Amino acid sequence: MNSIEEKLWNYIDGNCTPDEQKAIAVLIEQDEVYRKKYSELLQLNSEFAAIELDEPSMAFSYNVMETIRTEHAQQPLKAAVDKRIILGIAAFFVLTLSALVIYMFSSVNWSAGSGVQIPEQLNIQVPHVNTFFTGRVVKAFLFFDLVMGLFLLDHYLRRKTTAKEQ
Amino acid sequence: MQSKLSDIELIEQTLGGNQSAYADLVKRHQRFVFTLALRFAKSREDAEEIAQDCFIKAYRSLSSFQQQSKFSTWLYSIVYTTAMTFLRKRRLDTSSIDDDESYIQIENKPSGYDEYNVENKSRSYYINQAIEQLLPDDATIITMFYKGEQSLEEIAQAMGIEANTVKVKLFRARQRLKERLERNLKHEVNELI
Repeated sequence: MNSIEEKLWNYIDGNCTPDEQKAIAVLIEQDEVYRKKYSELLQLNSEFAAIELDEPSMAFSYNVMETIRTEHAQQPLKAAVDKRIILGIAAFFVLTLSALVIYMFSSVNWSAGSGVQIPEQLNIQVPHVNTFFTGRVVKAFLFFDLVMGLFLLDHYLRRKTTAKEQ
Repeated sequence: MQSKLSDIELIEQTLGGNQSAYADLVKRHQRFVFTLALRFAKSREDAEEIAQDCFIKAYRSLSSFQQQSKFSTWLYSIVYTTAMTFLRKRRLDTSSIDDDESYIQIENKPSGYDEYNVENKSRSYYINQAIEQLLPDDATIITMFYKGEQSLEEIAQAMGIEANTVKVKLFRARQRLKERLERNLKHEVNELI
């Protein structure tokens, strides 16, 4: 069963049913104990409602907004790019290539290939593989490998540093 | 000067890229958020850190705010979660109301405090002092109910508990606050109530 205090708090907060409210109102009017307790709780209630909120430092909102601005500025470009732009570029290329392929296939004369003989003058000589591995080509290839290697190493180290910071 | 726009209008402007709208929201709610944080942290520096963290978290997830509840209720749920995490991290000693010896040391106490000048102190000073001595949950419920313009259901939503549990907790918190106030004021309470 509810204590007098609990009933009265419910009455003050307006958390009673209309019947309970009427019953408590009658008790307050007729019962001295209820009346005294009610005025005590009513006084406390108004005092609790009058408590003052604390004030943060003057720079509080400035600090919050500065942190947000800094975070915003540090956002990587990858995340800042609108996805719709990327999808638009992709759609453009897909459409262009599709149109090109469709046009190419529609303009082919499929029956023109039968009975064609390659003339002897077009008998092309395939160059020997060894000719590609001259000193200059190998050097260029190794240089390209070196640049790619350095690029990947840099990428790996950057990712490692970022992961450590987080 | 603070904006007269509603919270929802300010949120929409913020989501549209207007950061100064969010600054207005911060200014509007900073006192309450800071006070709630102070109920957990007990030091102004930590409370500011918690409150700041809450506003930054709220900004980050502003787009996920469904507008099914008041912005303040949503914000207070962030404050409650952040403050609880802070408490767990710092493992602060919380005072039990039944333990007479375990008064929490209140920082930034106004100078010139002594037990003999009770009459000179305002009533609200003693109420604030008594609230600071309550358990964080009790102090939070009292603050949300009286100063946050939150219904029992909204407090329940912010704290992640049932509305009926909030009702019981609020009743107990008020009882404890009254007891603490009476202890602090000793004989003076009879004169003032």
